[in-house]
Amino acid sequence: MRISLLIAIPLIVVTSLSAQMPSPAPAMTAHDSALHALNRLAYGPRPGEVDSVAHSGVMRWIERQLHPDRIDDKALEQREHAFKILDYDRQDLALRYRDAQRERQRMQRELAQTGDSMRPDGIAGPMREFRALGGELQQLAIVRATLSERQLREVMVDFWTNHFNVFVGKGADRFLLPSYIEQTIRPRAMGHFEDLLIATAESPAMLFYLDNAQSVAPGSSPPRPFRPFFGRRRFGMNELPEDRRRQPTGINENYARELLELHTLGVDGGYTQQDIIAVARIFTGWSIERPERGAGFVFREWAHDHGTKRVFGLTFNNDGQDEGIRLLKFLANQRATMHHVSAKLCARFVADEPPDGCVDAAVAAWQKTRGDIRAVLRAIFTSPDFWSQPVVRSKVKTPFEFVVSAVRVLAADPDTTPQLAQVVARLGEPLYQQPAPTGYAETEAHWINSGALLARMNAALALARGSLDAVIPATTDHSQLIDMVDERILGGTMSAHTRSVILEQLADINDPTQARALAVGLAIGGPEFQKQ
Amino acid sequence: MTISRRVFVRNGGLALVSLGLDPLFLARAAFRSFRPSIIPSSRPILVCLFQRGAVDGLNMIVPHGDPLYYQERPRIAVPQNTIVDLDGHFGLHPSLAPLKALWDNKSLAAIHAVGSPDSTRSHFDAQDYMETGTPGVKSTGDGWVNRYCSHDREHADTPFRAIAFGPQLPRILAGSAPSLAIDDLEAFGLRVPREGARDRLTRAFEQLYEGEGTGLLASSSREGFDAIQMLKRADPTQYRPAAGVDYPQGRLGRTLLQIAQLIKADVGLEIAFADCTGWDTHVNQGSNEGQLAARLRELGLALSAFSRDLGDGMSRVVVLTMSEFGRTIRENGNSGTDHGHATAMLVMGGPVNGGRVLGRWPGLAVEQRFEGRDVAVTTDFRDLFGEVLARHLGAGDLSPIFPGFTPDPQRFPGAIKSL
Repeated sequence: MRISLLIAIPLIVVTSLSAQMPSPAPAMTAHDSALHALNRLAYGPRPGEVDSVAHSGVMRWIERQLHPDRIDDKALEQREHAFKILDYDRQDLALRYRDAQRERQRMQRELAQTGDSMRPDGIAGPMREFRALGGELQQLAIVRATLSERQLREVMVDFWTNHFNVFVGKGADRFLLPSYIEQTIRPRAMGHFEDLLIATAESPAMLFYLDNAQSVAPGSSPPRPFRPFFGRRRFGMNELPEDRRRQPTGINENYARELLELHTLGVDGGYTQQDIIAVARIFTGWSIERPERGAGFVFREWAHDHGTKRVFGLTFNNDGQDEGIRLLKFLANQRATMHHVSAKLCARFVADEPPDGCVDAAVAAWQKTRGDIRAVLRAIFTSPDFWSQPVVRSKVKTPFEFVVSAVRVLAADPDTTPQLAQVVARLGEPLYQQPAPTGYAETEAHWINSGALLARMNAALALARGSLDAVIPATTDHSQLIDMVDERILGGTMSAHTRSVILEQLADINDPTQARALAVGLAIGGPEFQKQ
Repeated sequence: MTISRRVFVRNGGLALVSLGLDPLFLARAAFRSFRPSIIPSSRPILVCLFQRGAVDGLNMIVPHGDPLYYQERPRIAVPQNTIVDLDGHFGLHPSLAPLKALWDNKSLAAIHAVGSPDSTRSHFDAQDYMETGTPGVKSTGDGWVNRYCSHDREHADTPFRAIAFGPQLPRILAGSAPSLAIDDLEAFGLRVPREGARDRLTRAFEQLYEGEGTGLLASSSREGFDAIQMLKRADPTQYRPAAGVDYPQGRLGRTLLQIAQLIKADVGLEIAFADCTGWDTHVNQGSNEGQLAARLRELGLALSAFSRDLGDGMSRVVVLTMSEFGRTIRENGNSGTDHGHATAMLVMGGPVNGGRVLGRWPGLAVEQRFEGRDVAVTTDFRDLFGEVLARHLGAGDLSPIFPGFTPDPQRFPGAIKSL
């Protein structure tokens, strides 16, 4: 690999001398490269941030973002205290979910007498509380993405949460997902891929979502005395067939398949159905303790297939849980995995159809560091592709990126109510609610359609209606107003066409507050702000 | 970070209310005239209703001629004397009596023992499989309706070709072909209360995106603004159903009313999709009265109203109900039913080969059941959906729509009249 050698040198240079590099792209001004970096490594700039990043050096800022633990994030920590969901562990949430379920059943019984169906406004008590916690979970993602100084880490948390997608609406995942985000994904978002892969494999949320918790060696049975597999029915396990709730009877291939296809090798990773079965056999016994005990990971010796498994040229024989660990470590460092995950990272940071150059650079860094996520990211950010003209300002924002970047650029301060999360949902990306293990798509075709675009315009108008004094002072000088909107909202990217359309709209508006709201609403709902 | 900024986000910012635009806007409200587009009003139309939660097919289309049915359901079986008999063996739940007229004029058929070859009893997985059209494959990214739209380009697309009613685009419509989720027709477009201001802002955004020239943003915005124009002409606020037609109260009735309206407005609708919920009757399901009866009553009244509202228009419309799986043959300890396997689906409309219960009935005896407890699947849902796509909408090639499966005309249940 010639490219890997070429990349290795700039890596060292960047690490040690980043401050001295004036601009990573000769053709770009410091201002434009700062805006580009803030659009891709962060959720867009806050007021004044483009200038400050340009001033202190874009590469220095990038290097700082690659070390989130060195960045002070007190303001966010303060805000997180307002979120009750962070005070509850898995067991707390499991109990609250159980109470909510009991409440629901009680109501269903009552409603059954009258023949009515359940109405959302009729719910109370534990059901309402659990629903509110679900809203907090979504809104917390928005608050963190908006307020955190560790922007790149938040972007990576979102990336991995999506890569290792778990659907919050599937049974027990309603109470397993918060700890999945907090304890499985977040601490490892900038670490080594291998650690993240193992952590997701052992996470109750994933074990439940992709059914591995039910995967047992055929013919195996639990030692006596054995409590029912998942305790009482209708406790987060509604999604399971009743017979399996009591006694699983064989292997379940779901996790094995998605592990290979989505998490590691990729769909063209060169594996067969026989490989999937062997992988599923290796993971038999990886399961979850009973939910009312907090539903932690458990390896069930009795459920494990102790036979010999041969896959990918490796042999696994009677080695219990270590078989799975060994396989995950192997998969994490396969070339197909490096390529698959690097291409996804480049699709996120560079372009929907990522150029080969940045993917190769990322793979080379992965190989060199055995999957150090920071090194891989650094390779992408120093690749010429990342800074190339066709890439800059050409990637459409996802709904989440659109809403968070608008809130940031307007210096608004989101609270704990789920209203911003509801806007993101309305634009087509309800957080944690992608049922398919693929996660949400990165490509613009999935986010831009006529309904979604109208919804973005509505969201823009609503956001622009707030107090904007901190960002753009009201003025009767329309030309000056548009200059400020261009500079502070669009980072100087406003086209001549957009300028003339907004100016024409302002022509008969005398009230400076109205003029400002109109100009800001049109700018955020217009084409320039949809892109990053 | 002051209190007032937080209040902005909580109150003003997200209420999705209008800019406080003054009447000056009215003075300049220049809304361009409607661009005529050519829409063939003879295009066949499919309306899909997803009964989420797994409807109990056995209490919807009741096999009252089978003594095992009564034996297994001592508390929730529908009494024989209240059933609306169809053919001596099957009958409609009494709540579906409004549909009997459609049965009699041969524009309503039922398919029994239809379902998925996958054995899952998880709502989530089974709904997913039914919407992606790929049972057993979890990673399919798009839905079969969307794949139909992307592979069948014979029809000129309008923004209203494929519409889902609801706040979000469901899996069945997800994919690369344009499709639209509409929560409520009356609220489609910019949410600005005053019409003059709304028109002006609409025009302003339209102009902004005209500057994009080409690309997805440009084409999507054009579609969106065309859709607004079309709706403006149709004027949802003024819609009145045909004389004597009353849709039932509730979301389903309202949705079907709006679908009827889109069909009459001739905006190019080809496929409409809507959810109806409340079928997961684990507890106190009821028999001829109760929880399920109430849901079925709403369904029957809504479908009947829809059919009468469209009148002759039903000659090009097929309504297809679907549900992720059926429920256990035997009632459970809570006078309800648990997750089962095969269920029943309804097909309604002028092109339907009606007045018949289609599909092979597998019987209810233990040895005839799936896994010894549930109604066995004798019709793969893809054979039914495939038939509707091929024989009603005229889909040419079904293999890209149901990858890994080739619906075989030999196996089509015969829901659509052959020409």
